[in-house]
Amino acid sequence: MSILTYIAGWPLLAALLLVFISGKNRVIIRAIAVLATFISMVLAIKMFCQFAAAPVDADGYRFVQQIPWVESLGISYHVGVDGLNVGLILMGAIVAFAATLCSWEIQKREKEFYILLLVMSGGILGAFASLDLFFFYFLHELALVPTFIMIGVWGRGEKKNYATFQITLYLSIGALIALIGLIALYLQSGADTFDIPKIIAYAKAKPLATNVQNFIFPLLLFGFGILVSLWPFHSWAPLGYGVAPAPTAMLHAGVLKKFGIYGLIRIALPLMPVAAQSWMQIIAWLAIGNILYVGWVAMRQKDLNLLIGNSSVAHMGFIFLGIASLNLIGISGAVMIMVAHGFLAALTFALSGYIYQKTNTLEISELGGLCRRLPFIGTVLLMAAMAGCGLPGFANFVGEATVFFGAWAQPSLHWAVVLAVWGALVIGAVYMTRAIRNILHGPLPEKFATLPDASNLWRKLPYALLLVSLLIFGFVPKLLTEKINPDAAKIVAVSSPVVKTSAVALAEIHTPKSEIRN
Amino acid sequence: MKHELFPWLILFLPLLSATVIALFTLRSKTISSLISIGAVVAGFVLTVLFISANGFHVNAETSKNWLSIGAETSKNWSSTDGITGLQVDFGLKLDALSLMMLLIVTGVGGLIHIYSYAYMDEDDSKARFFAFLSLFTFSMLGIVLSNNFLQMFIFWELVGVSSYLLIGFWYGKPSAGDAAKKAFITNRLGDFGFLLGILTIWGVLGSLNFGELQSIFAAHSATLLSAGVITIAGLLIFCGAVGKSAQFPLHVWLADAMEGPTPVSALIHAATMVAAGVYMLCRVFFLLNADALHVIAYIGGFTALLAALIAVQQNDIKRIIAYSTLSQLGYMVMAVGLNGQTAAMFHLTTHAFFKALLFLAAGSVILGMHHEQDIWHMGNLRKKMPITFITFLIGALALSGIPPFSGFYSKDSIFAQCLEQKNYLLFGVAALVAGLTAFYTFRLFFVVFFGKEKSDHAKHAHESSLVITVPLVVLAVFAAIGGFIGVVNYYGSQFTPDHETLTFVQQLMEPLKTPVPMCIGIAVALIGIFLAFSIYKNADTDPLPAKLGVLSTAMKNRFYFDEIYEATFIRAHDTIAAICGAIDRFLLEGFIIGIIRGGTDLSGRGLRLLQTGNLQTYAFLFVLGVALVLYFVLGK
Repeated sequence: MSILTYIAGWPLLAALLLVFISGKNRVIIRAIAVLATFISMVLAIKMFCQFAAAPVDADGYRFVQQIPWVESLGISYHVGVDGLNVGLILMGAIVAFAATLCSWEIQKREKEFYILLLVMSGGILGAFASLDLFFFYFLHELALVPTFIMIGVWGRGEKKNYATFQITLYLSIGALIALIGLIALYLQSGADTFDIPKIIAYAKAKPLATNVQNFIFPLLLFGFGILVSLWPFHSWAPLGYGVAPAPTAMLHAGVLKKFGIYGLIRIALPLMPVAAQSWMQIIAWLAIGNILYVGWVAMRQKDLNLLIGNSSVAHMGFIFLGIASLNLIGISGAVMIMVAHGFLAALTFALSGYIYQKTNTLEISELGGLCRRLPFIGTVLLMAAMAGCGLPGFANFVGEATVFFGAWAQPSLHWAVVLAVWGALVIGAVYMTRAIRNILHGPLPEKFATLPDASNLWRKLPYALLLVSLLIFGFVPKLLTEKINPDAAKIVAVSSPVVKTSAVALAEIHTPKSEIRN
Repeated sequence: MKHELFPWLILFLPLLSATVIALFTLRSKTISSLISIGAVVAGFVLTVLFISANGFHVNAETSKNWLSIGAETSKNWSSTDGITGLQVDFGLKLDALSLMMLLIVTGVGGLIHIYSYAYMDEDDSKARFFAFLSLFTFSMLGIVLSNNFLQMFIFWELVGVSSYLLIGFWYGKPSAGDAAKKAFITNRLGDFGFLLGILTIWGVLGSLNFGELQSIFAAHSATLLSAGVITIAGLLIFCGAVGKSAQFPLHVWLADAMEGPTPVSALIHAATMVAAGVYMLCRVFFLLNADALHVIAYIGGFTALLAALIAVQQNDIKRIIAYSTLSQLGYMVMAVGLNGQTAAMFHLTTHAFFKALLFLAAGSVILGMHHEQDIWHMGNLRKKMPITFITFLIGALALSGIPPFSGFYSKDSIFAQCLEQKNYLLFGVAALVAGLTAFYTFRLFFVVFFGKEKSDHAKHAHESSLVITVPLVVLAVFAAIGGFIGVVNYYGSQFTPDHETLTFVQQLMEPLKTPVPMCIGIAVALIGIFLAFSIYKNADTDPLPAKLGVLSTAMKNRFYFDEIYEATFIRAHDTIAAICGAIDRFLLEGFIIGIIRGGTDLSGRGLRLLQTGNLQTYAFLFVLGVALVLYFVLGK
């Protein structure tokens, strides 16, 4: 069996096991959950490290396993990784472990919470590993439904019900539109199979007709887009994360949300290159909507969780900009941000969860001077905020910079890059430093004089794990880019004929590079 | 090249130090500070060893690939295929320019580290302070050694964040938190232009490496330098320098940055970080064309004048020196704009000596005065703090440009450069600024060290300990002799190929070659000092406000730049944010949810019609469904 089956399987198996354990054995329940996600994480790290050496199958995937299921419809259990999802699975498994660790804060109905959390983790890891449209979609839904329940039952604050209502509505509709798109794709491709590599290979030989592409692409773009909080369908995200319990927000904002983008890159781009080309400018506009508009909205937030939620939505814009650039650099950058942002979103929500648990408030105006009492949490929050406004050293910078370069290589997107850089360097810095100033700096209010910091190693572990991941990929981005590049190149080869650019002012210069080097 | 490993060690030792302190030794003040001091001093020793083994003109690069996407070679920019790959190296560029900067950063930086050991002794967070200081040193060395644009940008940002951390070191004080935030955001505004400039250059030429770009420019200087896009790129890159070196219109953060501890002001906001902008302009000088240089020169000249005027009416000892830093940075930027990279880097070097000296001496005064910073509460300190007094005097003379102190030589080379370029307007500005500089420096000097004690603290002031005074003396020696110990040779040979090496005596006599600017420079400085002497020798309060009236108020309030920015740009940006926030709250959320809810409601009503309760209809639909499934499963 493929290692991927184990990575996704352990959490699901543990969830099943928990069903049969009495809710009174709190320690055992927690131990099982932590252990299962820990094993899953270790396996994911092992898989990531062995990636380069693993044998590759004919379609370019590694660690492949395929078991036919409904042969008449062409459905099979088919998992495998390539450069596009290897980072996502690693990130997902680490975040799942960190989220399980951070579930200290859950006091009521612990058993049910852990079951849902494990289903969510296993489901999304399985969805990322799946190379079969059916399982791809089904496992994502399996992970999505617990989100709603967890927000509804364990959520906090007055707006809980409204937020649950909104997030359920939006995400169900997004998933539904994407489903329509996927079914249409299945029917139109003519490959009679749910197997993604086969569909892609088939489409390479017999491309979809342009009008079909133009019909299906928007369905996937907006269906998947809603799942990723694409502007202007983003308002569910900050609100939902604002009330969600921290582990749920970590898993959803960090991991689950990437499913939509992954679907776009994995399925929509290679199958509908012509439509992608014609939608390029529109995607760029929407991306700028995310970056600028939601960035400005983030500046106005008075609640830490809403601020983080909006900032997380704003970051999705960079990914969309990378997709819009439709070239190797941009797509590689987009995949890079998907991984980096997963770690970062999980880290920030874990931190705000800690602060909420100890102070019982996330109103920014009520907090202040926390660095004095919480040196560890404060320092990590500061670093997370800096990572959030694109500081080099963290993985997000590499992704964002790469996207800027990629989009700049498309002269028609120069305008978007200018605006995006403004969003990344200025707007991000404004709301992040304002938040830091108001939360960590300044005088410490009387009532927080006895706040406890994350004291022992065990409590510090989830934060340290996520932070170290961000730093490793920030310092050595090659770990990821070397894996991403070959597979991103395949997508680009299908989806964009090389875009001709001309160095306008310099047209008259004709000297090959090699001469200059001498 | 011998000792190839040394530059890497020099760069990474401070990072190692910061990491070790942050992870393991935060509880121990002494160990942490010794680790940090050790890292930078070791860096200085390694630099000296490296230079003595290889000389200044190594002209080498060692690099490793850091990020590689797509095509191996960068864009062949004569083709029309567009750019297909992004290659970023992590490399070290070693030439006279970077080696001299290494000496400054590790040398002056090392002295300031040692000074901080005593200065921060009473602070509970001394370990954290040294961790930040090491992080800063790492970032600054990274800028100096970078061999390509993106790497420089990376360290550029890291320097920005270290400065943010150090300005906000006493974060419990609201003013420190605000100043840190302001510095960070203002720097980011400059970086916005810088990054776009980098993208523009890359988009046109397909490379980020300084060496490669330089050879492209060398081969096609005529075509490239006349292209409009290169002007734009040059100005955008200059934006980065405007932010970091605090030039008009982004100069507003530097004075507030004085909220940080005094050694920080000396190291970051005088000797090194703010000089990074000038250094960067010299590093990429090859791509600045005449139009861009023109703008650069005037921005520099204007900043020099503006800051000097503001400095005349400040009363906080550190703020006066901060504005003088701004003004001197304006000189350097102006010199770059006038094709005088050698003059600019020369002044940068001497300025690092005497400005670090002035700040550290001011810090000694502040310590002696029990953290009083208003000069009108000081007075007559010359007897109580003799070493501080003498060293401060040397720094002040160097800053004012009195021969034979170092500032005289470097400032004179800038004056000569103005005349050589026949830019009489900027020469006039430079001379005026030199007069103002001497005036405000000695205003500070006389008020603090002469006259009566103006407060109890001043009466009980005391000289600082040896750990503080020894760095002062060392810096004072260099501030005195820095003008003729060969600095100009190393830079000259870097920037002008036909540069002849000057002997010691020639260096000493160099200003005599151009007697006009020399005489004017000395004359205005003496006038400035004389005016300061006659006004402030025994003054208890400042008589200038009464004489200057509105002008004085405007100077005191820094010509209201903060208020203007607050009322225009910041408010406009906040208003846009408020509009977006409102739209988000009411329109999008309400509207889209409304549609979905209404739609669901409608379809619910519609579907209700299907619920006929008629068993036959249900049976029919059921069979239809089964038939469909069978068709898909079996039929195809």
